[in-house]
Amino acid sequence: MATTQQQADVVIIGSGPAGYPCAIRLAQLGKKVTVIEKGDIGGVCLNVGCIPSKALIYAGTTFDKMDHVSEMGIEVKGATLKLPKLMEWKQSVVKKLTGGVGQLLKANGCTVIAGEAKFTGPKSLEIKSKGDTIQLTFNQCVIATGSRPMNLPGFTVDQKTIIDSTGALSLTEVPKTMLCIGGGYIGLELGTFYSKVGTEVTVVEAFPTLLGAVDPALTSVVQRRLEKRGVKIMLNTKVKGQKTTKKGVEVTFEKDGKTFTETFETVLVTIGRVPNNENMGLDKAGVKLDAKGFILVDAQRRTNVANIFAIGDIAGQPLLAHKGTKEGLVCAEVIAGKKAAYDVIAMPAVIFTDPEIATVGLTEAEAKQKGLNISVGIFPFAANGRALSVQEPDGIVKMIGDAKTGRLLGVHIVGAEASNLISECALAIEMGASVEDIALTVHPHPTLPETLMEAADTALGHPIHIFQRKAPSTQPAARV
Amino acid sequence: MQFKLPELGEGVHEGELTKWKVKKGDQVAYDQPLCEIMTDKATVEIPSAFKGKVAELNAKEGEVVKVGQVMLTFEGTAVAGAGASESKQATPAPSAPAPMSAAPAKSAQASSAPAQTVNVGGLAIESRPLAAPSTRKLARENGVDLGRIQGSGPHGRILTEDVERMVGGGGSGAVAGGAMPAYKPPVGRTSIPAGPQEERVPFRGLRKAIATKMRQSKDHATHFTYVEEADVSQLVQLRKQVKEIGEKQGVKVTFLPFIMKAMVAGLKKYPILNSSLDEEKAEIVYKKYFNIGLSIQTDDGLTAPVVKDVENKTILHLAHDIEEIVKRARTKKLTQDDFHGGTITLTNAGTIGGLFATPIINYPEVAILGFNKIFRKPVVVNSGGSEQIAIRDWTYFSISLDHRVVDGAIGAEFMKEFIRYIENPALLFLENNL
Repeated sequence: MATTQQQADVVIIGSGPAGYPCAIRLAQLGKKVTVIEKGDIGGVCLNVGCIPSKALIYAGTTFDKMDHVSEMGIEVKGATLKLPKLMEWKQSVVKKLTGGVGQLLKANGCTVIAGEAKFTGPKSLEIKSKGDTIQLTFNQCVIATGSRPMNLPGFTVDQKTIIDSTGALSLTEVPKTMLCIGGGYIGLELGTFYSKVGTEVTVVEAFPTLLGAVDPALTSVVQRRLEKRGVKIMLNTKVKGQKTTKKGVEVTFEKDGKTFTETFETVLVTIGRVPNNENMGLDKAGVKLDAKGFILVDAQRRTNVANIFAIGDIAGQPLLAHKGTKEGLVCAEVIAGKKAAYDVIAMPAVIFTDPEIATVGLTEAEAKQKGLNISVGIFPFAANGRALSVQEPDGIVKMIGDAKTGRLLGVHIVGAEASNLISECALAIEMGASVEDIALTVHPHPTLPETLMEAADTALGHPIHIFQRKAPSTQPAARV
Repeated sequence: MQFKLPELGEGVHEGELTKWKVKKGDQVAYDQPLCEIMTDKATVEIPSAFKGKVAELNAKEGEVVKVGQVMLTFEGTAVAGAGASESKQATPAPSAPAPMSAAPAKSAQASSAPAQTVNVGGLAIESRPLAAPSTRKLARENGVDLGRIQGSGPHGRILTEDVERMVGGGGSGAVAGGAMPAYKPPVGRTSIPAGPQEERVPFRGLRKAIATKMRQSKDHATHFTYVEEADVSQLVQLRKQVKEIGEKQGVKVTFLPFIMKAMVAGLKKYPILNSSLDEEKAEIVYKKYFNIGLSIQTDDGLTAPVVKDVENKTILHLAHDIEEIVKRARTKKLTQDDFHGGTITLTNAGTIGGLFATPIINYPEVAILGFNKIFRKPVVVNSGGSEQIAIRDWTYFSISLDHRVVDGAIGAEFMKEFIRYIENPALLFLENNL
């Protein structure tokens, strides 16, 4: 129970996908870095987020494949899935990655303190570490404390019958029935996984569509697949409460003014995420928050306090690991005296539903709202040789260009490997490419990225693998 | 406390620190000259806005310093509200967030600066300047506003080279005449391998400023030169008389006041020669005032301060102004104001020799008049109906014009009118405001 005084140059609170790249880049730039982590190295993303969920989803998809291989002449008899074994494997993946991050921090000379940090002023922190207290003064501090699942009143998470995303990643028995409250990406990703391993899944969403602002043309492909596999989707429906009975969790719903109940073995609450801004003395440091509790930052991710920065989820939307990573790198360079700034034009987003969704840039609705005259090219995966030969004909690429300038404005993909297709589009937008640039770039055959080239050709009015009638006269032909 | 480089004049954002006039440890009085800064227009002395002891000089001679950059640190007190110096000392308050584009180039200073907002420019996909991430980074690091660059790539894409050109070419828009587009030198720099028996001196200061200015003029204006001869026998006589009057009043009278007056007379008839082309707005700007720049050779190189309001000054008044401005040019005492507002330039090559020169326009003006040597020459004159050989005072006038704006015929007509006054200087007395 000792109290020690320490001095640090740059302190980073949090070692998630924003914090640890920031630490490494700072070290590369010659700074002495101290990282404080109260949980596990790697944060939510590596431990209870992106990585473990993708491991499970991959396993679920592989298991599900077994039902579809017989048409190729492959007979699989008695395929079973042992959830505890799967969880063990998933954990080994997590361990490999978090261990790697720990080693990288060490190799770069960063000091890692396991403990919980609290500001005592704009240049000082108090850290509770294994019963000891460290009074730490610093020159600069980067807050990268992330976010956590939002609570739903009346649905206290016990990680047994009522779980959040963290709980969903460590169940050891496949529930017979599961209700996913919230039709956002986390609910759909995990719901799809459990559906694939045998759970009867119901998704309830208060709004009229799944997946919020994602283009409905993409969402409908996912929704059709979900319904085809027996997932029940209740839109425009609210949950009013629950009570635990012998049969399970009895949930009360309300739709169109009528209430009804249904019982589930497990309830997964995924209604959003909230910033981790409490119990860390932000008021002592004088750091200002916005109305939703995110820290206010400028283009260099500097807070209103000159020597304190914030990155990742705590610094606001979009709550994406790669957005936090980018902020971490920008912020590190700023602290090292470089003229860096967060000037991202294209922020891609990926959703691991079945099939996957990936988007970057403006949606059709956003472009129209801005009053832009656009040309849209839609190309179906069903017309792509590779998609057919890997049993993945469901999907489309929707490419949006400025009809006047030809500039590429947005790309929206639903289909197999969408997450691996979107980076080309992000690069194209960052480079200021035109739709024609994508169309004129040779895409190797036979691959899924050919769908991007053909969607661009479609926007230009001359696709090869689909027949397109002349564009109606009200829609000016794309000229780029 | 810090002393930052104050405003240097309209449109001037940086200059070369050519000389420190104080050193570390010096006691400095208020308004004492601290250093000399050479801008692309003039060399100016920077007076102190404090009294106290110099603790540290934060810039080196030869370094290009920007307005707002810390020049030195001192122990003492800043003098506030001190009349003329107050306006010179219009540096931003240290706590004010400075946009990154105006921040000093030294990265070390960026980190120690208080909370600053960075101008990352427009990020809207549909309207932002077309530039790759690496190009945007380069622009940000060099304080270049991408919105002000016309990209040379397809669809106006801004290439790394475009940004480099802005950085290297001093294209900060510091061009006299306001909204003229920033100057960009052509791509590619000449490299000369080091060799024996050669000396290398830095290409900077006024020499570099002249180079930039000349290149800019040739890149924009489409030059042509027209030459006409003139019988200046009467002018030589008149000038001799006025010179004697001037001497009594302590004013040295050269030919220049007369030439300037004749120029104004010609410009009034052909105002297009007193204009500028606003390329950005696609408009010709007719100047209704007559400020004549005067090329003056100094030890450091050529400079061209402006004699203002020629129309409303007497010959003696003009002679006095010219004498003053030449003296100040040679003693490096010209100020930014001396370079402001020129509408046409007069260059005098005659003092050295030669028949005539083909001068380069002082851009964005559209005309420059060359006055060459006066010499005695036998010519055929018509006297009482019979031709005779007579000895006359003779000279050539050359005028270079921007053909985009002024056609050859107009230039020739102007010269005819101008020379009518030069050959018959008494006509000048018919003009108002002599």
